[in-house]
Amino acid sequence: MKLENAIISGVLAALIVLPILEALLRKTLHVGISGSAALVEHLTLIVGMVGGAIAARENRLLALSTLGELLKGRAGKLAGVFGGSCAAAVSALLVAAGVEFVRAERLSGEALAYGIPVWVVQAIIPAGFGLIALRLLWHSAGSWSGRAAAALLAGAWIVLWSWSPMGALIALGLATVAGVPAFVTLAGVGLVLFRHAGEPIASIPIAHYSLVTNPALPTIPMFTLAGYLLAEGGAPQRLIQVFDALFGRLRGGAAIVTATVCAFFTSFTGGSGVTIIALGGLLMPVLLARRYKGRDALGLVTGAGSLGLLFPPCLPLILYAIVAKVPIESMFLGGILPGVVLLAATACWGILSQGPGESDTEPAFDWTVARRALWQAKWELLMPVVALGALFGGFATPVEAAALTALYALCIETLVYRDLKLTSDVPRVMTECGLLIGGVLLIQGVALGFTNYLVDAEVTAHAAEWATNTIHSRWLFLLALNLFLLVVGCLMEIYAAIIIQAPLLVTIGTAFGLDPVHLGIIFLANLELGYLTPPVGLNLLLSAFRFKKSVPEVLRAVTPLTLVLAAGVLLITYVPALTTTLPRWLGR
Amino acid sequence: QPQRIKLATLLPRGSSAHQALLEMGEKWRQAPGAGVTLTIYTDGTMGGEAETVRRMRVDQLQGGVLSVAGLMEIDRAVTGLQTMPMVFRSLDEVEYVREKLRPMLDKRLEEKGFVALFWGDAGWVRIFSKKPVTRPGDLKTQKVFVLASDSGQVDLMKRAGFQAVPLEYTDTLTGLQTGLIDAVPTTPFYALAGQFYLRAPYMLEINYVPLVGGLVMTRKTWDALPPVTRDAFRQAAEEAGKKISAQSHREMEEAVAAMKKRGLQVSQMTPPAETEWRTLFEGLYPQIRGNLVPADMFDEVHRLLREYRK
Ligand code: NA
Ligand code: NA
Repeated sequence: MKLENAIISGVLAALIVLPILEALLRKTLHVGISGSAALVEHLTLIVGMVGGAIAARENRLLALSTLGELLKGRAGKLAGVFGGSCAAAVSALLVAAGVEFVRAERLSGEALAYGIPVWVVQAIIPAGFGLIALRLLWHSAGSWSGRAAAALLAGAWIVLWSWSPMGALIALGLATVAGVPAFVTLAGVGLVLFRHAGEPIASIPIAHYSLVTNPALPTIPMFTLAGYLLAEGGAPQRLIQVFDALFGRLRGGAAIVTATVCAFFTSFTGGSGVTIIALGGLLMPVLLARRYKGRDALGLVTGAGSLGLLFPPCLPLILYAIVAKVPIESMFLGGILPGVVLLAATACWGILSQGPGESDTEPAFDWTVARRALWQAKWELLMPVVALGALFGGFATPVEAAALTALYALCIETLVYRDLKLTSDVPRVMTECGLLIGGVLLIQGVALGFTNYLVDAEVTAHAAEWATNTIHSRWLFLLALNLFLLVVGCLMEIYAAIIIQAPLLVTIGTAFGLDPVHLGIIFLANLELGYLTPPVGLNLLLSAFRFKKSVPEVLRAVTPLTLVLAAGVLLITYVPALTTTLPRWLGR
Repeated sequence: QPQRIKLATLLPRGSSAHQALLEMGEKWRQAPGAGVTLTIYTDGTMGGEAETVRRMRVDQLQGGVLSVAGLMEIDRAVTGLQTMPMVFRSLDEVEYVREKLRPMLDKRLEEKGFVALFWGDAGWVRIFSKKPVTRPGDLKTQKVFVLASDSGQVDLMKRAGFQAVPLEYTDTLTGLQTGLIDAVPTTPFYALAGQFYLRAPYMLEINYVPLVGGLVMTRKTWDALPPVTRDAFRQAAEEAGKKISAQSHREMEEAVAAMKKRGLQVSQMTPPAETEWRTLFEGLYPQIRGNLVPADMFDEVHRLLREYRK
């Protein structure tokens, strides 16, 4: 337990140090660290698998359904054993697939760096899934007899599923409803389809490995770590003070504060729900004090929790750039104006929904207060400048810029503000960040395996052909895209949606002459709405959890804002200039 | 006996090379004793070249049209054809050495479980830069793109005294825009397709390295085919390879002409400049031998070149 936490902290620290060292040595001595890129990529693989194992240990792997937790008594126990057995069976099959992959790689005898064979590091994939399988069994029941039953059942599934693919899919569907981790559903479907087609299941770990060792991927843990360090330090209070001093006295000011602070945070934490958990409790009293009805305040906090998804350096932007093979920087620039549109839409709704009252009872704008708040939070407000300055100033690659941002966040929270202790708090925050990244990368890795099945079976190519033959106008295509993504957003988790849908959409969109960056922003803006739509809406679940309300109650509260945001998404879709202007302007 | 052969490549769908591969597939389908259908996955939809090789190892794919960067994942011997800067003076030399080395290369690949069905090249990698480059000193003041995954090249460029910036292919254009890099060694075809020439409008007509590649199939699949089928397959593949090489040489010329019309400045290589470049790169050869290129392959390439130049 301690060992895993120590490994993940050590590896994250190395991920900060190596790229920065490489950039410095290149700048000053025109040398570098030999094999640095390959090392950093494989460190990300270690973060992913160890983080996934930690998430399994803590029983915090992201699930698509929460029904399992609602079931009480006997039904709950049965759901636990059934879901646990399916999840363990899928993980065990992933171990087998991983072993097949590593065995084939071992024959190649390739070395990573300094004489370490690559297969040794690759072996962490089956090892990690093995650990995850054991932990899924552990959490399937509270008693040893329950766990034994789940293990036996898991063995039975492996035999039965190879015999009946349809039965396997039905079992996976039921297990998903019972609340198994999202990666289980995606990997299970991928395994069944590959096996049914007579193709090797090792195709899945190959895709997983390629994604996790993608040279651009280390940006994700680094930017996320920066966001976590802020969230765990005193940044939430300081930032709310700043935006409250600046906008709080305006009509709808509290809504503007909520929207801007949430956007700032989400852009670093990646829309993972950290925003609602970290900020919700602080923002709610601000809104209630400014004459917002409880329901409207709840709606605002829930809706604002996903704002900022389009602002750099947000994780979904990076992920889309990797999958769609467009430059990260173009996605960063392309998202800014559309992000502002959604931010403005939220602020407008906030102004309209504020309750009646005397605005002159509030103190007038106080420049001294504002200046003090700004001065207090200056280091944190500078963080986007550090991240984007390094990137667009031409002295750092995306990975180096991300490492620099993480180092900056670490320094200001431990040395300047002293909200976090280097020896106790920082390893805890790093473990927490690793847990999140691990959970996300598990989903993404196996989702890419599933996508590879779609490519293999030529579904992607045929769908593109079908779309271009059936739909003849670009505008009609965009409308169909909006409707399609609305459904995707209702049903799918954002990271899996990016991996599975993006390659297909880019293929089709390019055939219609759409800019891939614009396509990406449309895609992500739609998925941002998906956070607020049932049945799979992360913000609805988190808000319900945080404020102890029922999901339907949260849904009712947020729906007016969802509609306003939908209008913004339509604007982003049909006015491409909002997206394409900034990247073009940089291109001059 | 296989019914379906799946082949992956980075080549774009609808390109002349893709067309040539489709024609080859048609001949394979009609080959005696086979009835094999060929499925081609273009545009890197099956992943990059290293990933394609991995997928071949587990028998998800049976074939791949790969450059040396991918083939070296199977056996490093192939690096002798592409990795040494300025070792070849003409494409005829490239072809001569390649044909002479073929038995040896084919044997090495076979030992690793792969069969090469054709070899070819797509012309020269040139240097595209923001400021004009004629001599090595001109390039040393500019930041040069090197593919991050190729750590051997990264080290080599640094050792040669260049400011090498390891980067991904997708980040090249933006890197040129932000000033992270100033120069990109690439083929004219990719400079045009990737629009690098708009930001790096100077091209040095240096015969830096040739872009060499070929078609490989897994031995498992190959051995399962009847001998008559194999002969027909090999013949159709040879024809496709010749066609692809010839077409890509023509496309290289066309790409340069098209870019010139839109403002590309081409610097010819002068004899004194060529000597300077040659001295620089030849100074690196001891470093390359035994590290980037296996020593026996390195020596053999040089022996064949001496033989050709006589
Ligand atoms: Na964002
Ligand atoms: Na949803």
